[in-house]
Amino acid sequence: MTSTRPAAGDGAGRFSASVEAAAVPLLGLAVSFALFGVFVAVAGANVGDVYYQMVRGSFGSWFSFQNTLVRAAPLMLTALCTALPAQVGLVVIGGEGALVLGALASVIAAHALGGANPWVVLFAMAGAGCVVGGAWIAAVGALRTLRGANETISSLLLNYIAIGVFKHVVEGPLRDPASLNKPSTRPIGEANALGAIPGLDVHWGLVYGLIGCLAAYVLMRRSAFGFAAKVIGGNARAAQLGGLAVSKIVIVTCALGGAAAGLAGMAEVAAVHGTANASIIVGYGYTGILVAFLARQHPLAIVPVAVLIGGVGASGGLLQRAEHLPDATVNVLQGILFVVILAIETLRGRLATFLPRARVTSESAPNPAAKAACSKAA
Amino acid sequence: MSAVPSPVAPPRRGSPPLLEADRLSKRFGNFLALDDVSLRVEPGRVHALLGENGAGKSTLVKCIMGYLTPDAGRIRLGDREVLPKSPRHAQSLGIGMVYQHFTLVPNMTVRENLVLSRPRLPFVVDWATERAALASFLARMPFQVDLEAPVRSLSAGEKQKIEILKQLYLESRVVILDEPTSVLTPAEADHVLSMLHQMARAGEISVVLITHKFREVTQFADEVTVLRRGRKVGHGGVGDLTPSAMADMMMGGASKSSSLPPSARSSEHEAPADERDRGTDEGAIGHARVLIDDLHAEDDLGVPALRGVTLEVRSGEIVGVAAIAGNGQEELVEVLAGQRMKTAGTVTVSGAEYEPKRAIMRALNVRCLPEEPLRNACVPTMSVADNMALRVFDEPRYTAMGWLLSRKKIAQTATTLVGEYGIRAPSIHTPIGRLSGGNVQRAVLARELEGKVDVLIAANPCMGLDFAAVAEIHARIRAARDRGAAVLLVSADLDEILALATRILVMSEGRIVYEAPLEGAEPAVIGKYMAGHGAHVAPDERHASS
Amino acid sequence: MLEGRMSDTAAGLGIWALPLALIGGALRVSGPYLFVSLGECLTEKSGRINLGQEGTLILGAMTAYGVSYLSGSPWLGVLAAGCAGLVLGALHAWLCSLPRVNDVAVGIALMLFGVGIAFFLGKPLIQPPAPRLSPIELGAWSSIAPVRAALEIHGLLLLGVVAAFVMRFVFRRTRWGLVLRVAGEDADAARALGYDVDRVRLVATAIGGFFAGVGGSFLSLVYPGSWSEGLSSGQGLMAVALVIFARWDPVKCLWTSLLFGGAGALGPALQSIGILGGYNLYATAPYVLTFVIMIATSSARRTFADQPAELTVAR
Repeated sequence: MTSTRPAAGDGAGRFSASVEAAAVPLLGLAVSFALFGVFVAVAGANVGDVYYQMVRGSFGSWFSFQNTLVRAAPLMLTALCTALPAQVGLVVIGGEGALVLGALASVIAAHALGGANPWVVLFAMAGAGCVVGGAWIAAVGALRTLRGANETISSLLLNYIAIGVFKHVVEGPLRDPASLNKPSTRPIGEANALGAIPGLDVHWGLVYGLIGCLAAYVLMRRSAFGFAAKVIGGNARAAQLGGLAVSKIVIVTCALGGAAAGLAGMAEVAAVHGTANASIIVGYGYTGILVAFLARQHPLAIVPVAVLIGGVGASGGLLQRAEHLPDATVNVLQGILFVVILAIETLRGRLATFLPRARVTSESAPNPAAKAACSKAA
Repeated sequence: MSAVPSPVAPPRRGSPPLLEADRLSKRFGNFLALDDVSLRVEPGRVHALLGENGAGKSTLVKCIMGYLTPDAGRIRLGDREVLPKSPRHAQSLGIGMVYQHFTLVPNMTVRENLVLSRPRLPFVVDWATERAALASFLARMPFQVDLEAPVRSLSAGEKQKIEILKQLYLESRVVILDEPTSVLTPAEADHVLSMLHQMARAGEISVVLITHKFREVTQFADEVTVLRRGRKVGHGGVGDLTPSAMADMMMGGASKSSSLPPSARSSEHEAPADERDRGTDEGAIGHARVLIDDLHAEDDLGVPALRGVTLEVRSGEIVGVAAIAGNGQEELVEVLAGQRMKTAGTVTVSGAEYEPKRAIMRALNVRCLPEEPLRNACVPTMSVADNMALRVFDEPRYTAMGWLLSRKKIAQTATTLVGEYGIRAPSIHTPIGRLSGGNVQRAVLARELEGKVDVLIAANPCMGLDFAAVAEIHARIRAARDRGAAVLLVSADLDEILALATRILVMSEGRIVYEAPLEGAEPAVIGKYMAGHGAHVAPDERHASS
Repeated sequence: MLEGRMSDTAAGLGIWALPLALIGGALRVSGPYLFVSLGECLTEKSGRINLGQEGTLILGAMTAYGVSYLSGSPWLGVLAAGCAGLVLGALHAWLCSLPRVNDVAVGIALMLFGVGIAFFLGKPLIQPPAPRLSPIELGAWSSIAPVRAALEIHGLLLLGVVAAFVMRFVFRRTRWGLVLRVAGEDADAARALGYDVDRVRLVATAIGGFFAGVGGSFLSLVYPGSWSEGLSSGQGLMAVALVIFARWDPVKCLWTSLLFGGAGALGPALQSIGILGGYNLYATAPYVLTFVIMIATSSARRTFADQPAELTVAR
């Protein structure tokens, strides 16, 4: 929507279109939380208390909000692993694998550089995470564009393979003999840890996430490369007609998405765990898919959505302690959100009927839903 | 009466019922698509329904088939009044239709398709019984088909025959055919039509034949009704009407009978004027611009579709490639447009090797006007302005620092082109998918013809467009040629090729099999080569040379 | 599980130990693949893809275990698992029938949703033991424990084998099968013949979900035969790839499931004969196999002749 400017006389329609663009997801959120309330009520909890604890656990205090931001940071990056390939029309769900291998690669890089300057070590860790994560998802894109292999299935398979490789390495060749209960690699060392943003108790990974989303936005919505990607995502045949290097652009876009997820893995290692072990595998990659879809694959919308979903995750612990709900309560809410937000898309363009001055709406703003409809028709 | 053919019942005898549409009218909004039209199909006769695109032929038969409910008028079948509510209902009354597009399921066998079309299927299909019943049914038919063949493996002609067989299998007594020969070679068309003619003669069926080819009317129909702009403008026995009289009715007296070509396709309407403007005059034609040498490619299923295409297009000429659908011409255009990989061969443009890559396309000024522009040349969800920038968005004049897009300049160019080409769109920011077919094609044309054009590849550029749009697009293509472009025109419409082309090549089974002489191209001879007759001469020579 | 028993006698069996362990393992591990792939085959034949089968599988596993635990009847658990899958499948079909709703995205959403619900409701089920399905001892004649273990066949697996052949019969020989295939091959043709394509797909996806749910009961009531959150690891989605490899033929789904089961049994089988190193790598064998098969059977330029034509996504 950012790609078009209102023409003279088109303003009113554009306005109600943007009202709708905001109203539909907000309605989706409201419906989701209502359904979730029904669910926890049936499960025997006090709905009001649950909502209260969720707000308290996510945004209720400075402490909990910082906790939310810590969780939002990797989500912004893993969401890009789905949202960037989505620009070229691919549904990639391989963020978990790219994150895990990015984490592993960054640990190896840290060990390889031993006692070098911490800045050099961090830079190398980030580079290694990006390269390995990027290559992992680039393979998905390459197999899709050069070989026709379904990217959704292949990226999911690669998640399992990545986790297998990760565990093998962490529990085998690189295992720190000192890690008894939880097999881990040797720690990267305090000196090399990624610190907190000054004045906050949130590590620099959040800044990585914000910069990542902003860069993705500029690249995809403002640059010639992004224009080409959009053409490919909208109609690959038209892109071929224009002589665009379809395969190259698809692979590069996938690589960028994978690099983002790999960077998330590096940040988790460098800022949170200090080592590579199974604690890394907590599903940030899968939750990132949800974030990307809730943000409707828009790079900037990922930021607030990641904070929201990070907040949901942050409140999980409180729900367990205060309401005695299982930790999977968060998964249920995420599932409901995902389903509802997709289902509510069907209202787009029709909701306008209920808004004032709505007639022109369907004639103005293009949206991904219409794109889906068009590509379906084609 | 029941239309359920039980596998063992003997064929029903007796003449088909009289079908009568009495004073039908149908209005869409302000547009009166059908205005007080009557049609009387006598039992056992072939009744041709003649008219230009948009004359109301399909509205009329859609009312009869139950797709549309007429606003006024009655339909009678035999001695009773009927009002078909759906095609299924019409079928149960014994009225069946063969559509222009195929309704067969490609991945199923002929046998499965036929049995599936029956209105009431038993829960467990006993294939042994069905096979026997189909065999005895086929034994009564004038031609044979392989029941076990998957439909996808059949040629267009065979599919069309099966569509017709299906109607007979369902015991339709009145069969409506919507331009059944548009996908057939002339020989196949003759075969199918004469078969229908014989079956009508034998009193098995009545036939309504929608067409705009006079030859088919005079050769195979008994009666003809002519529609124009939603009204019935003529009717009579075929023997009583000359083709020129029918043409006058169709065109509203605008056509000169003397210059009327053998068929009366829309594009032809302007043909006489074009004769002067063919650019055949030797001086205008320059050096060889495009050289295609022994080009090979495969189709989506991996079957060779191009088997050594060799041709040449010089600057300032339009080379028309005539072919029946499915003979490799779509693949030829796709290879040149970058939408399909070639498996062998070379393409040379202006002396340099051509690959469908952006830099090369730009350097050699190669442009393309593919068929179905919304599917092949546009991103339906992107705006008119963005679609018009598809060729140029990464050029320095549209970017800052070599990568940042200038939306303003893209919008400026689009506004200019929209004005120049008279594209009707609510705004240049409207998604192009919302525009009408003619305006989409104009937008693509504007984009592809912007700047210097050395090579233009056009495929069925006017498919589905109205008179005005066709005339305009033809004029634009000619203008490009006059500016020195080498134009390769692939069209399923032989008349369009006859109207535009300087030279005519015929493609059959993935090869160029014939080149018509510059002057006096004979449609009949071209048709023969399109049908694959005489194909044995040319390809061998071409292979020997490569 | 069987590994502990087997490693004692493994030495005595020599080179036969590994194949025996593999056969036995394949018969156990292939169950979920078989049921999910049959369900997915049915769904895809109708022209729709359901990537949510992974969620259905896990929800089915939890439901089967819970119902078996509460009622004491494992077969009731199987039925309940199927019904849970039926509901999830119907939900998928309904969502996809809404305009502008994309079936791949809905599948991913339902995968997360099913998993979430299963983990939530299954929390109290991790500890208590539920009655499991008992096997048919085809190897009772043998005195060698690994042989007996390898030849333990479960009634549920046999049901799956029968279902594969029945499904092929239905596709080829019945009205339902023909209508289903037309809906999957050419929605317009199906509508022209007077069939409600959305309804056909609703029924197919719901029954497909039933199969996937039953597949889940195989996990929790047969092998490994317990409920935990790490029970399934992608079998539901691998089954989707498996259907492509089986070329949308139920009986080929059966053979392919056995192949995948064999790959899945590789890790435990190697462990049972005492090879312990690289367990995590062997555990990825089914994924690697699926991945390799998927790449080998894909082509960027061609489409499969036997792929349901309405199924554009399987490419």
